[in-house]
Formats: sequence, structure tokens, C-alpha cells
Amino acid sequence: MPEGGVVLNSYQAASPNEGGSPARTVLVVGLGNPILGDDGVGWKVAQEFSSIEGHSGRVAVECLSIGGLGLMERMLGYDRVILVDAIETGACPEGNVRTFPLAALDRPGLGHSASAHDVSLDSALKTAEAMGERIPHRVDIVAIEAHRCYDFSEELSPAVAAAVPLAVSSISWLLAE
Amino acid sequence: MTQRITIDPITRLEGHGKIEIFLDDRGEVANTYFQIPELRGFERFCVGRPVEEMPLLTNRICGVCPEAHHMAAAKAADAVYHVDPPPTAKKLRELLYSAFYVTDHTTHFYALGGPDFVMGPDAPVAERNILGVIHKVGLEIGGKVIQARKAGHTVVEMIGGRKVHPCTSIPGGLTKGITEEQRKEIETMGRWAVEFAQFSLKLFNEIVLGNKAYVDLILGDVYTHQTYYMGTVDANNQVNFYDGQVRVVDPNGKEYVKYNPSEYAQHIAEHVEPWTYLKFPYLKNVGWKGFVDGPESGVYCAIPLSRLNAADGMATPLAQEEYERFYSTLGGKPVHQRLAIHWARLIELLYAAERWVELATDPEITSPNFHAIPTEKPTEGVGVVEAPRGTLTHHYTTDERGVLTKVNLIVGTTNNYAPISMSINKAASSFIKHGVVISEGVLNRVEMAFRAYDPCFGCATHSLPGKMPLEITIRDANGNTVDVLKQYC
Repeated sequence: MPEGGVVLNSYQAASPNEGGSPARTVLVVGLGNPILGDDGVGWKVAQEFSSIEGHSGRVAVECLSIGGLGLMERMLGYDRVILVDAIETGACPEGNVRTFPLAALDRPGLGHSASAHDVSLDSALKTAEAMGERIPHRVDIVAIEAHRCYDFSEELSPAVAAAVPLAVSSISWLLAE
Repeated sequence: MTQRITIDPITRLEGHGKIEIFLDDRGEVANTYFQIPELRGFERFCVGRPVEEMPLLTNRICGVCPEAHHMAAAKAADAVYHVDPPPTAKKLRELLYSAFYVTDHTTHFYALGGPDFVMGPDAPVAERNILGVIHKVGLEIGGKVIQARKAGHTVVEMIGGRKVHPCTSIPGGLTKGITEEQRKEIETMGRWAVEFAQFSLKLFNEIVLGNKAYVDLILGDVYTHQTYYMGTVDANNQVNFYDGQVRVVDPNGKEYVKYNPSEYAQHIAEHVEPWTYLKFPYLKNVGWKGFVDGPESGVYCAIPLSRLNAADGMATPLAQEEYERFYSTLGGKPVHQRLAIHWARLIELLYAAERWVELATDPEITSPNFHAIPTEKPTEGVGVVEAPRGTLTHHYTTDERGVLTKVNLIVGTTNNYAPISMSINKAASSFIKHGVVISEGVLNRVEMAFRAYDPCFGCATHSLPGKMPLEITIRDANGNTVDVLKQYC
């Protein structure tokens, strides 16, 4: 086991509330790839939400293209996290917006929360919890049905683009609960 | 009657990959197909953009190794502008890259490949993961893994400007350097990373090499293929991740060719199969002879094991000791056993950590001379780095304003598409026999064949799926379902 007198905590990654700013207890994450068509809808929603006045003191907003362990690491220290992402069920029309807790996702470890080189978000959070880390007590998902996530483009398809305002509102409604 | 087994998607592999195994009427494996989706239109997306955007754009291709794309793109952009970055810039890039490697290889061993050995290939899928490893080996392990990742991310952020998706490499060098205070912190983290890598190798020794069943599994014929091996080497023919020449050795370990990255098109061609959109790179001058082993077949690997096989040694002392032990234990060079990739990966982990310390203590590393302003007219350039999953090539052509007119990428895993397919076929043929119940453990042994390669095809860039089971469907020749087995990631 590495020991040798090295002070391991000397380079802990910055916690979300460092720097003397007001404590931010909620994190909104736009997930996806901003150059892969409708896969970028999570970013668009998060960016739109970020421009709304009134919540900046309490809510942090990030746009990320990571999953699993990396995503878990970004979530540590927050009380609540809202993930905004494209979802491809094929069971709904494109642009359909739904909100549900992470635990209600059919397989919570999948999609952006899993990749070829990572563990599921579910496993990552359980791992962090086992390590004694403070994980969010509530994780919600705002999911936008999207079917065109394989073609490189910075544009959303019309149905998915039209869903952005509703998805933004969904974040606000979740926060009001 | 032909039976069809579909593994869709592959556990712990990016969700949209699919393995199909066709059985003949005797219940033996007739053929296997490893299919993966192609992300379309990247070249078209890039053409018309300034080449200096590529280090930022290409690191969005993939959520797993954006650092590799950032580096290959920056090197290709240097070449397009015919500019040689100052030594400090090259060293800072390599330092960032070494820290990234530590993070990446750590994740694979502890979260992906390792669970098969620590928990055992027959352990329930719910336990065969990092959480299972932590519970079995000790909570302290989890802390070290998280610590190693934090250290790597911190260095990437210090030099690259952002965690995960760096943004500071530009044609001619970097937009920023590091301070002495940062250097000291980076050195401290690097020294810890060396100890962590040594610990990881010790763990591998105890858990894997100390278990005869695992050693037999590694050395057995099921996971063995004799192919060519590719890797980037420095002037001393030692492994280098950031820069050097591409060296290829034949299945006997003899140097077949060594070439400059810009000459890749003279040596690599791509084979097309009707059942997949992704192409199969092979050695052009050997030729495509199908999915077969041997010196007559142009199939090659570009993985940690191949980098070790293609080199004469490691450039750092502790990694060199492990390199020698690796070959003396496994019977000399080259090593063909694919499960040995896990061990090779840990030797690379140690090398990356040692290189991290070497660069962090280099007198030039804090120099303010980290950028050379390009002065020549941009034309065409190739940038190559060793991504964790294989040799990564970016090739750009621009007009005289530096606006892209052509883009070609050969990404790390793609190099290994043919050998991965061969490994899947061999494992499936060995484990799925007439009369054998196709259990979760059997399927996992098939998955282990490609998991060793640490494959990655598009990564964390896809939308959330509604339902992602590992589903094995056995069908008759008419498409009727005979049996369905499911497991969940």
C-alpha cells in the first residue's frame, strides 16, 4: 500500500463550495456530446437554465461529457443533483420530456452513466458511499427523447429543439419541490 | 438448424456494441460477429473549420480519452503549420499525458478488467465490479483508486486548463505553463502515483499470478493469438506514449518495419466487411488474408501488450524491472496471450507514473518558453500518440488559410477491431460447445476476450437508453426464438 510519508490529502480535488462563494447545494448537469446532434440537448437545456436569473446563488450548472466514476466525482459534496440528458427509448415521440429519480431509470447504470471505460453511475455512487464520501441524497433526471444521436452536428433536430423550454421548466419544477 | 446468439450490448462495454454468435445444427459455433455503431459525419463536420479548433473539437469525439485526441490533434496541427514546439511545451504535454495514463489504466484495472480476476469470472455480474473488488480486497483500495484519479485529473487541469477535456494545446505549443508551486504539487502527486502503481502490480502478483487457475487461463490457448504488434518507440526503441516512431514487430518478435507517423498511409490499409460499417485496419504490405493468425496475415494489435512487444524495453527503471520479469515469467518475447494485456497495462501504469515524476522534476518544465509562434503557411500534417487503447492517428489537410479541407482519423481501438473479433470467435468456439449450458459465466468468458483490449467505440457520448440488458437470443434458421438469456449491467 502506498505510504512513505506522502500527504495524500494535499491535492484533493476542489470541492464544489470552495473559494468563499455561497454554499451551492444543488448541481444541474447537462450531459451529452455537444457535437453529436440531439445528444447535445442536455447541454442546451443546462445552458438555457443557467441564463435564468434568480437561482445562481444556490444552484451550480455544469455541462459534461462524462459518466460513471467521473460523473460521480463531480457530484460529490452536493445535496441534490439534476441530470439532463437525451434518452432513446423508442417508446415516445422525439422531444418527449420526462422527469424521474435516478433510481427509477430502468437500468440506472446506463446511458451516459456508463461507457466502455467506466462503471455505471449507480456503482460509482455506491462505491463513493462505501468510501465514506458524501453523495447527493437525491438525484433526478430530466430526459428528452431523442433518436438522432449518431451524426456529428451542433444542431438539434426541430422536435428536440422545441422541447428545450419544457425541459428547462422541468428543472425549475423539480427545484421547487 | 442454425442457432443465433446475440450478446447485446456487452456488459461494461459501451452500450451499443453487439456480439452475435451463430451456432450450427450440432450446437458448435459457426461464426461470430462483433458489431459496433459508427458515429457518422465527423470529417464533414470538421471540413471548413480552422485547424486550430481540432484539439478542442476532437476531444469531444469520445468521453473516455479526450486527452489522447487533444494531443494527437495538437501534434497534427503543429505539423500542418510546420512548427516545432519548444522542449518545455513538449514536456508539459507529455506530463499531462502521463498523468492521464495513470488515471486511465487505473480505472481499467480496478473497475473493468480487474473484477474478472479479483471476483472470478463466474461471480454474479452484480458482484463482478469495482464495488465487489472493494468489498473483497478492502475499502482502502477504493480510496487509492479515487485518489489516483483525483491526482490525474488535477494535473490535467493544471496543464490542460480543464479537467477531462483539456484546452491549452495549440499549434506550436501551449497557451500556458506551470508555476514552481504547481510543479511541486505535481511532483508530490507523481511520487505517490509511482507507489500506487507498484502496489497495483503487487496486487496483480498476489491475486492473479498467485492463483494457478488464473495463470492457466492466461497461458491457455483460448486467449492466444499470434499477430503483428504495433507501438510507438523513442530513439532507443523504448516505449513512449507521446512521441517517436511507430514500430511493428512480426509474430516472432522481429522488427518488421519502423516508420515516421507521417508515413502511416504507406503501411496501414483498411479492409471492409459487409456486416459492419467500421473498417479493419491491417498492414498493407503484408496484406489482408482474413481473420487469421501468423506472419502471412496483416492483422496487427495496438494495445499495451503490443507496445511492450514492439519495444526493446521501458525508459524508466522500475518499469524496466517489471518488463523483464513479465517476459521471463511468460516465456520470452513476444507474448501472445491476450489476457497478459492486463499485466502489460500495469507495467505501463508504472512507467507513466515514473515518467510523470521525471518530467515534473525536469529543470525546463517551468520555463516560460512554452509556445513557438507558427510562421509558415499551413498545408498538411499527421499527429500520432499512443492512446491507452492503441495508436491514435490524426491526419489533416488545410488550405493556405489553415481551413480544413480533409480529415482522417484512425482511432485507438479501431486498430484492434480484427484481433478483437478473432479473440471473440476463439473464446466462443472454445467455451460454447454442443451440450454446454450457456450460462452467465460462459458468456463472461467470451466477454473477457475483448475486455482485455479495453475497447472503446464512441464512449460516453450516447443518449440514455431506456433498457440495456445483456441479452442472448438463440434463434433457429427461421428467426424463431428458441431461448433468451438476459443479464443486466
